[in-house]
Amino acid sequence: MSKKVLKILVFLVVVALVGAVGAPGISRAAEPIKVGGGFALTGDESALDLPAANGAKLAVKEINAAGGVLDRPIDLVVRDSKYQMDVTAQIAKQFVEEDKVVAVVGFTDSDSVLASGPIIQKAGIPFITAGATSPKLPDQIGDMMFLACFGDNVQAAAGAEFAYKKFGKTAYLLIDKGVEYTTLLGAYFKARFTELGGTLVLEDTYEDKATDFSAQITKLKALEKQPDFYYIAAMPYNVGPVVKQLRDAGLTGPVVGGDGYDTPDLVSVAGTAAENVYFTTHALMDAKNGTEGIKKFIEAYNKEYKTDPENAFAALGYDAVYLLADAIKRAGSTDAAAIQKALNETKDFKAITGSITFSGSRVPQKGVTMILVKDGKFTLAEEIVPEKVPSPDTK
Amino acid sequence: MNLTNYALQQILNALSIGSLYALMAVGLAMVFGILRLINFAHGDVMMVAAYIAFFCLSAKMPLWLTVIIMVVGTVLVGIVMERVAYRPIRNAPAIAALLTSFAVGQILQNGTLLTTRFASKPVQIAFPAPPELSGTVALGALGVSRVNLIAFLVGPILLALLTLFITRTTLGLSMRATAEDIGAAQLMGIDTNRVIVLAFVLGAGLASIAGLLYAVQAGQINPYLGFTPVLKAFIAAVIGGFGSISGAMLGGYALGFLEVLLTALPGLGDILPASSTNPALIAFFKTYLPGTLTSYRDAFVFVILILILLFRPGGILGTAETRR
Amino acid sequence: MTATARSLTSTTTATPSRRANRIGVFGLALVMVALIVLLQNSGSSVWQGIFTNLGMFIILVASLNLASGFTGVFSLGHIGFMALGAYLAAILTLPLETKAAYLNRLPAWLAVVHLDMMVGPFPLGFLLATIIAGLAVALVALLVGAVLMRLSGNFVSVATLGFLVIVRVVLINADDFTRGSRTFSNVTPYTDLWWVYGWVAVTLYCVWRLKNSAFGRAMFAQREDVAAAQSIGIVIMRPRLLAFVLSAFFTAVVGSLWGHFITSFSPNTFYFDLTFRVITMMVVGGMGSVSGSVIGPVIVLAISEGLRRIEDSTQLYGISGLVLAILFIIIVVARPGGLLGDREINFGWLGRLARR
Repeated sequence: MSKKVLKILVFLVVVALVGAVGAPGISRAAEPIKVGGGFALTGDESALDLPAANGAKLAVKEINAAGGVLDRPIDLVVRDSKYQMDVTAQIAKQFVEEDKVVAVVGFTDSDSVLASGPIIQKAGIPFITAGATSPKLPDQIGDMMFLACFGDNVQAAAGAEFAYKKFGKTAYLLIDKGVEYTTLLGAYFKARFTELGGTLVLEDTYEDKATDFSAQITKLKALEKQPDFYYIAAMPYNVGPVVKQLRDAGLTGPVVGGDGYDTPDLVSVAGTAAENVYFTTHALMDAKNGTEGIKKFIEAYNKEYKTDPENAFAALGYDAVYLLADAIKRAGSTDAAAIQKALNETKDFKAITGSITFSGSRVPQKGVTMILVKDGKFTLAEEIVPEKVPSPDTK
Repeated sequence: MNLTNYALQQILNALSIGSLYALMAVGLAMVFGILRLINFAHGDVMMVAAYIAFFCLSAKMPLWLTVIIMVVGTVLVGIVMERVAYRPIRNAPAIAALLTSFAVGQILQNGTLLTTRFASKPVQIAFPAPPELSGTVALGALGVSRVNLIAFLVGPILLALLTLFITRTTLGLSMRATAEDIGAAQLMGIDTNRVIVLAFVLGAGLASIAGLLYAVQAGQINPYLGFTPVLKAFIAAVIGGFGSISGAMLGGYALGFLEVLLTALPGLGDILPASSTNPALIAFFKTYLPGTLTSYRDAFVFVILILILLFRPGGILGTAETRR
Repeated sequence: MTATARSLTSTTTATPSRRANRIGVFGLALVMVALIVLLQNSGSSVWQGIFTNLGMFIILVASLNLASGFTGVFSLGHIGFMALGAYLAAILTLPLETKAAYLNRLPAWLAVVHLDMMVGPFPLGFLLATIIAGLAVALVALLVGAVLMRLSGNFVSVATLGFLVIVRVVLINADDFTRGSRTFSNVTPYTDLWWVYGWVAVTLYCVWRLKNSAFGRAMFAQREDVAAAQSIGIVIMRPRLLAFVLSAFFTAVVGSLWGHFITSFSPNTFYFDLTFRVITMMVVGGMGSVSGSVIGPVIVLAISEGLRRIEDSTQLYGISGLVLAILFIIIVVARPGGLLGDREINFGWLGRLARR
């Protein structure tokens, strides 16, 4: 009991200090809006979560510098889940009980979202995931769960339709069955592509931590006739080697992938092999050819973290916070139900990764950007809204 | 591609993959041979080497200088590891040593994570492959990546040097004696501490070379990259014959072949040209070796591993620890 | 490891002190009950969560101790049993509609089973599912153990590691049953402190009884020296296999508890990371000690919780992993058998205190 009292005292002192010291543009008595930031900052998922956390923190910094939300600064409480599910559940409880947050943002994978989601849902607090792209999440967790990114079914459908029209009816599919993201992407792609009339001439799998794809590539090369394109679902740490080895083997056909490709590492690692690679992602992250918002983001990210945004998740983390801030502003309060209502009413919110609208679904309607790697740079190939999207339940 | 070319290319792939595994396995076997210690931190030592190489190459140092600094740095890590973590538990049960190696690995991983934070580097860093190690080499109609080719050449050379060292020099003799019976070796006046340190030095040196090659192949480095290699090295060493250096090397190639086989055969029915192949053959493959089997790869490897442990625990070369 | 005469003769201590010990343990149990009541009513889900996790890890460590610490046969694949238990129990308790929604390709005989029945407020279905899962996994362990327990030393560690990998691959590929690598979610949250500590009591009691039985002595004997043990007539396979199978049962039970607590999991949840965590706790507490199976998780979880909070406020991520690893090495160097080795804490003093 005394520990709890001590904690409350500390909290009050901190709040008092924050209020006293203040930041430019914030009134002296402004109580910060506490937002929980759950991320797996150590462990296998950290390559994705750390950029997402960085993006989120950058957004908070910018918002506070501009006066905060409802004249109050945002206090992003970042907690590391270590990619351990029991810890993930614990930090969700800490957000609800100890930090008393008004909303939670975070995570880039379904395991973590599903470990923390039910707790946050039960507390009636809005939860916006930065980068978990499984479209089933809002149904699995509840009406407080929102995605800040499109679902994998959307980007896979976009990829299938684009490639079917542009490249042809035959394709090769390569996934890692042990990772949810690639499995989902592959399943949705297969569903949409075959529905359009395409055929998969060869399907294959690789291991998550594989660095050598020569066996699979040799098998592919042995086909009598190469398929019109290759759909390869991969995580940011696999895209470089797989593309490089594919090209090194002499296969020059177009490669199509998902947002895992959205990392500078694709070009740094694969070099010229990355030519003729297409991938669906949230927005064109290029300092010269991106939108104004993207350009400013890249510049600010570089200034703060001394590196280019490592992958799409940096921008998604950034957007999740801005989306939340916008909802709070429109709600006019930090009441959970009000925020939830405002989120549901979000229409054409100009996030840097695209325009977000939640209309009847808590997976946003967001356009898919198809990027082509040309001359070592990411270029915009097409903005796509898929005609038909496979149901989230597709196996 | 006709069937012969396909088979040849896959064999080449197996040799390539196997070379890297062999290099990793030999490093592991060096320490096991002397101390009967399965060093799970071996992969993390490779990771440290990769990071050292990264910092050197980013500073635009030439490859030869990078290799020297990397090897020296990694060996230093190995020496410190032995002194601080493994020497004090030398007389503890084997389990203690195994578990300590987990802990050492954790220290290396978290230490690297913290270091990259302070150096303002992201978790996953693209590895700047030096031109000498990049690209492919064509061998007729077949191709192999240069880094794998180098692994293939470096492996046997190092093995030969090691074998020469162990059989022809006094120090090597001391190592063999210590591996045989550490107590007797001490009684014979051999400084077993020095020998053990030497084993770690050699192990770390091999790990560093393997780490560099692995980083080039993987294209990127992160603090957790060591886990998969050490697992593979481990499997390879067991298959080939734990404790034996040539066994470890052989095991590496065996594992490479196994993995490639488990990818090359399932789904063969899909790539065999329908026009020129016996339909019964295609049907056979489609029924018994469908493409979906490839996701069972890891399981098959371990089933074979377990079978070897049960029926031929000495591994393929069947040396040393044949007592179950 | 030197055999202490104490560990082999722990049942021959004088009767009065044993009674005092028993009273002490009983008193401790009462304290635990009071603590649980306090926690349940405190409304602090953070602390309930901490203690629930603690309880689950205690069962895990106790089971692993039984299988490995007592016998010296090191199983690195035990978490594979936890995975099987979690999946099986969760598949069984999933209510019909949820099952239809998320597992729509189950074979008919499984799709109709839904052990979600309640007897008043008591979730009978959960108990049944947990026990069934435990027994099924114990059967698997019997088969696996019959094959693998012939090996020893490093070989059995490697082989059981193989079991862990194989289980994961099977779970990933049997996606009609398990949803493959997709997170298995929406499991009913039955687990609470009473369930966890109820099972803790059962597990600790079983393990303790076994340790002090003829089987237990046989286990410790063959840990020290297989040849010597055989020479006095111990059939090596039997105690090893019994330990293996029983511990698999309890490990599967924890799987069910975990699944119904976090309410979601995937094959990657039950893999190397969890394995190392449990092993660390066992080594810290004492390999071969029942009280060590409690002390180990308490110490390790206390430290990691504390360090975690420090990490969160200082943003020095990686510190907790570093500190725990260093602590681990210090303990292994200073006391290779763990803090308690194979000794038990004697609660006699508590018992004598109560008598006053």
